[in-house]
Amino acid sequence: MDRYDVAVVGGGLLGCATAHHLARAGSSVVLLEKDQLNRHASGQNAGSLHFQLEYRMVADGTDAAARAARALPLHLDAQRAWAGLAAELAEPVGVAQHGGLMLAETPDELDRLGRKAALERRYGLDVTVRTGAELRALAPYLSDTVLGAAYAPAEGKANPRLVTLAYARSATRAGATIHTGTRLVGLTHAAGGWRLTLDDGRVLAATAVVIAAGVWTAEVAAMADIRLPVIPVALSMTVTAPAPPLLPHLIQHVGRRLSMKQSGDGNVLIGGGWPAKFRTRAGHIDLDAAPDLRYESLAGNADAARVVPAVLRLPVLRCWSGATTLTPDQLPVLGEIPRRPGLFAATGGSAFTLGPTYARLLAETMLSGAPSLPIGEYSPARFGFLNFV
Amino acid sequence: MAVVGAGPAGLAAATVLADHGARVLVVDEQHRPGGQIYRQPPATFTARGAPAGTAIPAGRRLLAAAAEAPLRWWPGTVAWGVFGAGAGLDDFAAAPTAPGAAAPAAPGAATPGVPGAAPPAVPGDATPGVPDAGGAVPRVHGAGPDGRAVDPAEPLAPRRLRLATHGPAGTRLVHPRLLLLTAGAYDLPVPFPGWTLPGVLTAGGVQVFVKAQRLVPGRRFVLAGAHPLVLVVAAQLLAAGAEVAEVALAVRRPALAAALRALPAAAGNAGKLAEGARALAALRRARVPVRFGTMVTAALPGADGTLGAVRLVELAADGTPVPGTGREVEADVLALGYGFVPSTELARQAGCATRYDPAGGGWVIEHDRWQRASLPGVYVAGEITGVAGAEQAAAEGRLAGLGALTELGLLAPAAADRLARPVRRELRRRGRLAGLLAGTFVAPDATLAAVRTDDTVLCRCEEVTVGTVRSALRDHPHLRTANAVKLVTRAGMGMCQGRSCQPALCALVAAETGQDVAAVGSYTARPPVKPIPLAALSDPD
Ligand SMILES: Cc1cc2nc3c(=O)[nH]c(=O)nc-3n(C[C@H](O)[C@H](O)[C@H](O)COP(=O)(O)OP(=O)(O)OC[C@H]3O[C@@H](n4cnc5c(N)ncnc54)[C@H](O)[C@@H]3O)c2cc1C
Ligand SMILES: Cc1cc2nc3c(=O)[nH]c(=O)nc-3n(C[C@H](O)[C@H](O)[C@H](O)COP(=O)(O)OP(=O)(O)OC[C@H]3O[C@@H](n4cnc5c(N)ncnc54)[C@H](O)[C@@H]3O)c2cc1C
Repeated sequence: MDRYDVAVVGGGLLGCATAHHLARAGSSVVLLEKDQLNRHASGQNAGSLHFQLEYRMVADGTDAAARAARALPLHLDAQRAWAGLAAELAEPVGVAQHGGLMLAETPDELDRLGRKAALERRYGLDVTVRTGAELRALAPYLSDTVLGAAYAPAEGKANPRLVTLAYARSATRAGATIHTGTRLVGLTHAAGGWRLTLDDGRVLAATAVVIAAGVWTAEVAAMADIRLPVIPVALSMTVTAPAPPLLPHLIQHVGRRLSMKQSGDGNVLIGGGWPAKFRTRAGHIDLDAAPDLRYESLAGNADAARVVPAVLRLPVLRCWSGATTLTPDQLPVLGEIPRRPGLFAATGGSAFTLGPTYARLLAETMLSGAPSLPIGEYSPARFGFLNFV
Repeated sequence: MAVVGAGPAGLAAATVLADHGARVLVVDEQHRPGGQIYRQPPATFTARGAPAGTAIPAGRRLLAAAAEAPLRWWPGTVAWGVFGAGAGLDDFAAAPTAPGAAAPAAPGAATPGVPGAAPPAVPGDATPGVPDAGGAVPRVHGAGPDGRAVDPAEPLAPRRLRLATHGPAGTRLVHPRLLLLTAGAYDLPVPFPGWTLPGVLTAGGVQVFVKAQRLVPGRRFVLAGAHPLVLVVAAQLLAAGAEVAEVALAVRRPALAAALRALPAAAGNAGKLAEGARALAALRRARVPVRFGTMVTAALPGADGTLGAVRLVELAADGTPVPGTGREVEADVLALGYGFVPSTELARQAGCATRYDPAGGGWVIEHDRWQRASLPGVYVAGEITGVAGAEQAAAEGRLAGLGALTELGLLAPAAADRLARPVRRELRRRGRLAGLLAGTFVAPDATLAAVRTDDTVLCRCEEVTVGTVRSALRDHPHLRTANAVKLVTRAGMGMCQGRSCQPALCALVAAETGQDVAAVGSYTARPPVKPIPLAALSDPD
């Protein structure tokens, strides 16, 4: 039986990045991926680097926003992490931080933007509300309906096609072993560590296990008889044909679901949380099937894009669906699982933007017990009451 | 019933359906019915030339019958997506469409309360009203993420399908009771050095110029490939007054002769080969050199940067090039015909199960003996079930029409069975011919692949070369599927939505990773299956 210091379950951004940090620190690491690397959320997302609070965090009133804001220290960390990532991985990953605008089209929305920006500034985020001529000078491409925008200069984009694979390559260079087409099907605690059973019958041993399984997190945790309230959410995305540069910023909307940016390749990516629909099998959500696209979401998302009129004439090449995870309190699940020594989880929320940060903090916790930023607030321990054994 | 495609399959089905009282909507992105083979010039063209397609009697009959039938016809309209009812509250509405209705409706307008609808039958159920259901329906296995075989998932379970279209009237959503997809096929793109030069076209593309626009797109033509269409198009060009410098077929003469000798086995249904043979005779009469066992290895630029000459080589019996036989032929157009790829995008996007069928042109849509796909309410006919020619497409269309009529309650099962009997006999005969053709006209895949160098462009939209794909596979040794390679290299992400690079990319990935090409899968099909402007996406009527 092969033995490792750490087994990472999941070959998305979080799994590959955690493997990179652990392997570089000298741990022996095996990563298991049931499909292909970067095949799920990490390769399907919008690639936004948004450090402002998102629409879903501010849509439900001040209290909910204040709660979600407790993740802002992670946002600030991520801002720096992305700026240094290409150097860290020794290859380009499409990072461009030219600023982001969160738009308001009604006086009410403008109010909400102001309150939001004030909250964010308390945590140290560089964000200001721009209106009138100042806004037009910054973003002449916006439609007349836009009254104002919260501007965060460090926001931007990265390329989801490249980031996760770059982490995987770095992890491999540092000695990590990667198995694709290999599904974890059993996880039991044994003396001094964990036994992992794979779908081909092989059994591995590891001192510690990282669950970085995206929407399958609860399923993998259940193998160790743990309930985690990680909620799968199905989303859709739209991409246009490449166009000459027309949109330097990341665009979001405070009153509607919208995220929009022009990729380095010239395509405009449009998303922002428009739902797709999970398939079911025998009455249960089938996480292994791509969620079905809803016509209404595609239409709604395209309509929201009207704030940048120039994009409306671009041909749409493709709409797709993907699935990611949210938690009941909108904070990540990050850290060791109580009563399961050596079993760690990382998921929840905008784990593309925050992925490099989650992964580094988790690896630091595992290696030294002392992460460079406190992560107690995000510990799975807050859901300990769901588990009796 | 909504029918996508007005080629032989769609027209035959629509006619049968309308004749028995179904309300039928036919959608085609072309402006006139006929599909690829019976393609008609625009109505505004009055020139009296040889209208190549409609000169075919079977085509004339189909078009005439369809013109008589009370069809609703949306020309110039692309069907870009199939969606389930799936719109939130809509899910809980009773399945609301009247039998046979194909009424456009605004999105979200649930048209509740329209009486008379039953949910579409689920394959595998013993469906009353559809003869030979139950056991006859294959339990098909779909391709999972990246083409791995997966268990048949529960069907999409739309109680009602919605077809999204875009045309002169803007974006429209159609709520048909049943849907028939007959999107046909397109020319198999074959990358080789120089294939992206202006002047290098597909034989099908050249035929479209000649048929639909009455244009001869060049001066001096070389036609090459591995499909009898090359002979047909060469003869059509000749008839239209073009100079044909040479026709080169990779098929070797002995193989062709064997096929011709075996013709009687095809029981009088040799229309296809006969068409090729007639074309061959016409070319011979005009002293056009027609060379068998000859393949294109490169297209070379002329002084102005467009095609100047074509490099050809002779093939040995084992399909490899014979050293020292390379030569160049001057030409300003090279028309290539290596065969066809089924246009399965819309059916795959809808969620219909597929099967890899090399003889049928690659990935094809699974169906039962009434042409029902794995997805309830969806029928498929014609080339998307496997490339087998226009007559077979029309026969499948008739069968689909009969099956759908029983499901719509417009035809008794026994009557459908009786009407289907001669169609099934015809399909059996054609099956034999198709086998014969497939065995004869095979592209020399290995030799074609060997001609490609690292500099050869694979994906012309995104300008991804063979070398880029190879190095991506070296850099990321874990990548093994078409989708995964697409994501890192951008091959397949351009305007053609992957149609022009998918077959060659899959073959390359299979070769480099030592897998079967079916294991590499295909690019996932997603809406819109043809590009539409973003504004149209947000703006249904
Ligand atoms: C459409 C969409 C748009 C998004 N946009 C953004 C955005 O703009 N910005 C942002 O910050 N976030 C965005 N997100 C969220 C972000 O993509 C995810 O939070 C992030 O990618 C999660 O990474 P991950 O590694 O946890 O999950 P994944 O990338 O899903 O990786 C998990 C992996 O675990 C594997 N796995 C699961 N179970 C097993 C098992 N038993 N054995 C072996 N392997 C297993 C899976 O196959 C999968 O590859 C978006 C998500 C979607 C779907
Ligand atoms: C380029 C080409 C040239 C050919 N030339 C010959 C020949 O000379 N002789 C011969 O015997 N055979 C020829 N064939 C083969 C012959 O055309 C086919 O066997 C026959 O047309 C198949 O019929 P079908 O109904 O399956 O598809 P088609 O005839 O291809 O009809 C499909 C129709 O669907 C429409 N369509 C497809 N997708 C959509 C969509 N998303 N929305 C709206 N409309 C859509 C297309 O516009 C087309 O009109 C040719 C095929 C091709 C592709």
